[in-house]
Amino acid sequence: MATDTDTARIEGFGEVSRVRGIVFEYLSLGASVLGIFALAVLLIYVTIDAFDLAGTSPVWLLTYFVTLVVPFLAFCLYSARDREVTRRAVTVSGGGLVAVAAVFTAIETFVGQIPRLNWQLAYLFVVVAPLTGYLVYVGARGRPGAVGFGLVGRLIGGTAIGLAFSVLFLVFDERLWFLAYTIGIVPAALVYGYGRVRDVSVASAAAIPIAVLGVLVAVLLRPVVDVYPTTVFIYLWTLAIPIAAAGALLVNGRGNRTAALVAGGVPLALAVVIGLFGRAAGLGVGGPNALLVISVAGVPTAVYLHRVFDVGEGVTGLGVPVLLVGGALVGAFVVETFGIPTPNPWVSETFLTEAPSRNARDAGLYPAIVGSVIIIAMVAVFSFVLGVATSVFLEEYTADSGVIGALTRLLQINIANLAAVPSVVYGLLGLGLFANLLGFGFGTAVTVSLTLSLLILPITIISAQEAIRSVPDDLRRGSDAMGATRWQTTKNVVLPEAFPGILTGTILALGRAIGETAPLIMVGAATTVFSAPSSLFSKFSAMPMQIYAWANFPQEEFRYGVVAAGVITLLIILIGMNGTAILLRNRAERGT
Amino acid sequence: MSNTPSSDTRSSDSLITTDVETGSNDRTAESRATAVATRDLNVYYGDEQAIDDVSMDIPENRVTALIGPSGCGKSTFLRCINRMNDMIEVCRVEGEVEFGGKNVYDADVDPVALRRRIGMVFQKPNPFPKSIRDNVAYGLKIQGFDGDVDERVEESLKGAALWDEVKDQLDSSGLDLSGGQQQRLCIARAIAPDPEVILMDEPTSALDPVAASKIEDLIDDLAEEYTVIIVTHNMQQAARISDRTAVFLTGGRLVEYDDTAKIFEDPEEQRVEDYITGKFG
Ligand SMILES: Nc1ncnc2c1ncn2[C@@H]1O[C@H](COP(=O)(O)OP(=O)(O)OP(=O)(O)O)[C@@H](O)[C@H]1O
Ligand SMILES: [Mg+2]
Repeated sequence: MATDTDTARIEGFGEVSRVRGIVFEYLSLGASVLGIFALAVLLIYVTIDAFDLAGTSPVWLLTYFVTLVVPFLAFCLYSARDREVTRRAVTVSGGGLVAVAAVFTAIETFVGQIPRLNWQLAYLFVVVAPLTGYLVYVGARGRPGAVGFGLVGRLIGGTAIGLAFSVLFLVFDERLWFLAYTIGIVPAALVYGYGRVRDVSVASAAAIPIAVLGVLVAVLLRPVVDVYPTTVFIYLWTLAIPIAAAGALLVNGRGNRTAALVAGGVPLALAVVIGLFGRAAGLGVGGPNALLVISVAGVPTAVYLHRVFDVGEGVTGLGVPVLLVGGALVGAFVVETFGIPTPNPWVSETFLTEAPSRNARDAGLYPAIVGSVIIIAMVAVFSFVLGVATSVFLEEYTADSGVIGALTRLLQINIANLAAVPSVVYGLLGLGLFANLLGFGFGTAVTVSLTLSLLILPITIISAQEAIRSVPDDLRRGSDAMGATRWQTTKNVVLPEAFPGILTGTILALGRAIGETAPLIMVGAATTVFSAPSSLFSKFSAMPMQIYAWANFPQEEFRYGVVAAGVITLLIILIGMNGTAILLRNRAERGT
Repeated sequence: MSNTPSSDTRSSDSLITTDVETGSNDRTAESRATAVATRDLNVYYGDEQAIDDVSMDIPENRVTALIGPSGCGKSTFLRCINRMNDMIEVCRVEGEVEFGGKNVYDADVDPVALRRRIGMVFQKPNPFPKSIRDNVAYGLKIQGFDGDVDERVEESLKGAALWDEVKDQLDSSGLDLSGGQQQRLCIARAIAPDPEVILMDEPTSALDPVAASKIEDLIDDLAEEYTVIIVTHNMQQAARISDRTAVFLTGGRLVEYDDTAKIFEDPEEQRVEDYITGKFG
């Protein structure tokens, strides 16, 4: 290098070596690509197994490709309205077809048979799936696409949330909820609303004490009172009506009373009719859960529709659900009429709604799904509340110096160390503390979710602390100087600003909790239960446990088909949950 | 500093060159009640002394400027008045600060209640990441204000000369405003709960001259209703907007405190003259 300086001086600036940086860049790139590739191959095989795609006839694939995939992609292109994108999409799908077929045939002739994969499937996974993802991304930036995907999102998301609610009511007592809602929440909401409208701040402030008092009274009354309305009526009164009212208020806020009545009323009416008479009319759906799901999904959808029509842009996008459902129906019709052999997927209605069985084809994941959903909900609440409370205490309320400061630092080091403790040890702790000492029972929902909450608590605390610490001190001082108490500063300035960061940490930690099996085994959770839990203290299983049990079955059908179906279900629920949480977080970020 | 060091022959003239006459407003400093008074105020950060035996009376409904070289304790002095120094663990305050007929360091004074009567504007604009309306209404909200919030928000924004620029976007984020607008938003936030004293720590140092002059005009108007205490490094600014000026020098000593015109035209102390003319500091 030293000899270069002379020439450099003569010939200009010379050159600075970047070899190390370039080597590092390509090494990291290679490593990431390799990792993603390995994961993708695994997921492709799991998907193939779960949906029994290996034995699928190419004609079946082609049918749905033409009726479902092509129109959908065309819509995305229409929404994107970009020549360049269209050209790229056509080139990739056409060129990809030739390339995949050629490479595939080459491998099969020269290297050997690739198990359970044919070139059509390879094309589906290697070209169509990524292309669809790309086009959805691009299409969502066009108006019709944004509208369409927003609608589909509300329909699917609302349904999922509605289903999750109905699952929670399997173990939480809906009658207690009915009392608490009627005695506590309704009066509190009324008082609060009155305070807001009449500008009486005393009334608004009284709302929370009233709610707390009401809920306490409800808990006391529950064993005494023994006349209750039916479940359908409870859901209607405590959930469907308030949701519809909230939707109507939202629409009314944008100015139109009639539209508000329609947006709140139509979904409500639909929910009531199907909830009460669906079964009797032979619809196949009905009952309290149908009422719940329809109102939870329907009201946001109606509010959304109103906004779309109000803005008047991208209304064509509202056809997306029609396109999807219609495509699937036409595909099914064609398959039916021409007698095209259909695959027999392991992820099926039976699998999602039935109990485990000795017989692979009858085996279901339902009790484990319910168990997991309940555990996730409880862990989310416990760890979020405890984590935020602890981190606020550590960051905002403790002194930095003196005895308290030293204690805080000690606590801090301990929390950091706890994050590194293996999960089996937490299992042991849960067994000793919750199952034995406190008597919550072996493998019950309470024991399991408290144990898992403890397990992820250090991670939640540390990430929440990090988020709270990143709130600029300027803001705190600004609030303090206004004469805010520590509590007011924390509540009004620090927490809203730290909220997205706190959520990110909690989401990551929850993802870990759902997948855990070791602590579950330690606290005595069952690998297999045959009926959905009916109370917080009944025997529980969770999806990972059940999948693990199936993986040890001697029959090949279990080890491949059923396990794959379980993995896919677990992944979909996990990704759906994380996705919702991330959407929520992004919204909170934009809101600030 | 745009002013040139003046020679002794010019010492009877104003020491600095400004377009505006010093003390141009018609307010006079005499015959005013005292809003804030300090008695033998000493402040220490650990072992280091930041304020050395300062006693001064700050008049009501006047603008009082605090000037002095960097690190001489101006900000520290300001923070003593609303007890923001309590937040700094190593900070120790001795002596008295009288406000509202009481020593604010008495055991029975609640610093939070005290701060509700004293507004503060910081050097760097620090609006909350909330809407403009919520920013201004913040003090009202935390104090449980019972009246018409929207009306108060409008009044305060008008008082901070920001209303016309933001009246159509009260719901957009306070962070979307320019630096100068943000600083006026912070002033609106400080005056909304109707405090008695407003403390400003170099409120224009992060702003361009146009935005700064808007805020200067504003301060002039604020003095009609409030007692304003302002720290500044800008001599012309101090000369233009203040009625009284206090000069601190290194070590946290109050060297001279008098009518602004007097300080800038004929200071008693040679050190003050040197500082004002830029010979030192
Ligand atoms: N939080 C603190 N901890 C320790 N020492 C401090 C702290 N704040 C200020 N000091 C010290 O107190 C002295 C006065 O500081 P202060 O911030 O009051 O000066 P200032 O006059 O406002 O300066 P500037 O004009 O640069 O803002 C300085 O020596 C500084 O180092
Ligand atoms: Mg300062």
